[in-house]
Amino acid sequence: MTQTILAPLDGKVFQVMVKPGDTVEEDEEILVIEAMKMETPIFAPCDGAVKEIGVKEGDDVLENDILAVIDSKSNEV
Amino acid sequence: MRSYFEKMTTFGHALKKGRIKSTEANLAGIKKAEDEITEAVDRVKLAGFSEEKINARGQMTVWQRLEYLVDPGTWRPLHTLFNPMNNVEETTNVIDGIGKISGKWAVIIGFDNKVMAGAWLPGQSENILRVTDLAKRLNIPLVWLVNCSGAKLTEQEKFYANRRGAGTPFFRHAELEQMGIPVLAGIYGTNPAGGGYQSISPTILFAHKDCNMAVGGIGIVSGMAPKGAFDIEAAEEIIEKAKQFKAKPPGSVNVHYDETGFFRYVFEDETGVLDRIKEYMKDMPAYAPKFFRVADPKEPAFPVDDLYRLIPLNPKRVYDFEEVLARLVDAGEHMEFRPDYGPEVYAGLCKVDGFLMACVGNRQEYLGKNYPEYADYPGMGGKLYRQGLIKLNEFVTLCGRDRVPIIWFQDSSGLDVGDAAERAELLGLAQGLVYSIQQTDVPMMLLLLRKGTASAHYLMGGPTANRHNAFTIGTVASEIYVMHGETAAVATYSRRLVKEKEAGRPLEPIVEKMNQLAEEYHEKSRPLFCAKTGMIDEIVPMRDLRTYLVAFAGAAYQNPKSICPQHHLMLPRIIRG
Repeated sequence: MTQTILAPLDGKVFQVMVKPGDTVEEDEEILVIEAMKMETPIFAPCDGAVKEIGVKEGDDVLENDILAVIDSKSNEV
Repeated sequence: MRSYFEKMTTFGHALKKGRIKSTEANLAGIKKAEDEITEAVDRVKLAGFSEEKINARGQMTVWQRLEYLVDPGTWRPLHTLFNPMNNVEETTNVIDGIGKISGKWAVIIGFDNKVMAGAWLPGQSENILRVTDLAKRLNIPLVWLVNCSGAKLTEQEKFYANRRGAGTPFFRHAELEQMGIPVLAGIYGTNPAGGGYQSISPTILFAHKDCNMAVGGIGIVSGMAPKGAFDIEAAEEIIEKAKQFKAKPPGSVNVHYDETGFFRYVFEDETGVLDRIKEYMKDMPAYAPKFFRVADPKEPAFPVDDLYRLIPLNPKRVYDFEEVLARLVDAGEHMEFRPDYGPEVYAGLCKVDGFLMACVGNRQEYLGKNYPEYADYPGMGGKLYRQGLIKLNEFVTLCGRDRVPIIWFQDSSGLDVGDAAERAELLGLAQGLVYSIQQTDVPMMLLLLRKGTASAHYLMGGPTANRHNAFTIGTVASEIYVMHGETAAVATYSRRLVKEKEAGRPLEPIVEKMNQLAEEYHEKSRPLFCAKTGMIDEIVPMRDLRTYLVAFAGAAYQNPKSICPQHHLMLPRIIRG
């Protein structure tokens, strides 16, 4: 099962900490969006592997844009 | 009221593996910064003569006296790094804090007898006034460990006179006494002139056998009549007189115990003085904690050490305020006030050590496109908007009605600005909050989690509310400035940039000045600067933050001047509906 991470707000992608194939744990920071002078961290919603990263650093994003897709570990098991 | 308080709504979550993994660098950064603060504190503790040298003279140091006097585990130091006049001694030469003596909270202060025998130094009277204000706000005893050699004469112009100068504490002692707040004083060493008034102004004087207190000391008595200038003959006379008075300094226990009776007691040993103060503290007016507790004390639901991971050192990084609060209050339980209104601020009732406390804090997250409702731009946590200000005005006012002390958790970048904000009455609502705080006569404390900025620093329980803010503590992530340095650089130089551009001149010199200004702002907003100048009363390690909340709660409820019966409280009923 996959879980899609959507942008919670409009902003600029400030930092991407993971790449496709990386293993992530629930609540791990995977990227940061900068908006209104603040940096909002985006967390992995579950344990799993990064299937897809839809953005790169410096990209402008709108609310609900797809940021990443995680292959949920529980599904693999 | 058990149904309201025994089991309140739970909040907060345990940290998951992913969060722990992501926050290792933040944890390391905070610990490194805390180590730097510890080093600065150690320099203050080691100022002056060594403990060995003082002990060899048959005296205890102020630190040893404090350790003997204060109940183990209850000492909460304040103003340790306060040194607003940049003294070379790195201290104002008084050591103070809140602690329990014989089970009762007191404000405690002592002269550092390792440094110039406890002399008055620049900045010291301001330090003492903060301490007397604290005793007044909390309505708890002030305990002095007097050992004051008088003024550092080579710098007297910096502190002797003036409205908040070295004589002002004597008037504050009188004020406390007039309010029924006792000032107990253990007297040690030589206390001439200013030291004499430091000794005589408290309520009850407990003297060590070798102490003295006097209107004037050896230096004054022996050098009082120079002939307009000094010569060898005058020097010889001074030597003779000084020898005479050194042998028998004025105001010893022979005079002030045997004759005037100013000293209530005299003790052979230094510890005897402290033992009798402990005995007196047992009799100080205080309610038993059970009188005011609303539930049994409980530890927080989650480890306080999680704060090292939850509070980002990076001031721009968003975090979840409720997760922080859940690590500081009893059992991770609360009753939130108006959760559907003014989402940028949290306001609610929590328990600290079983006492009911009002908590207010800045949320940090994105607030959505439809908030604030008066503007066409989205809101961001850390700022204050119309609804948040209205909510805080209501909450603070109700806390006054219910006599609930308030703990402010501040991390704010300021108020919303622009014409939409003006039309939404933010200026009036902000000053309205100042008014609400001023008329809400309950003790308040501030924990500055990170940013104290613009007028939000005043509005969110800042120390500018002199009559209400008992004390302000900060963390190594704290910073205080009127605006961020980069914002200040733009505000200062933007028009100049336009002029230079239009004149065809190079922009580099202005850009350099902008960077310089931003850097200066950074340096002058750091925790050490804030502590040194008194903007923060103490920088506290994350793991000790709750201990200050517990001390504040216990002290605020020890002997309050007015009471709201628990079954008359309105806030919990308003929250429940």
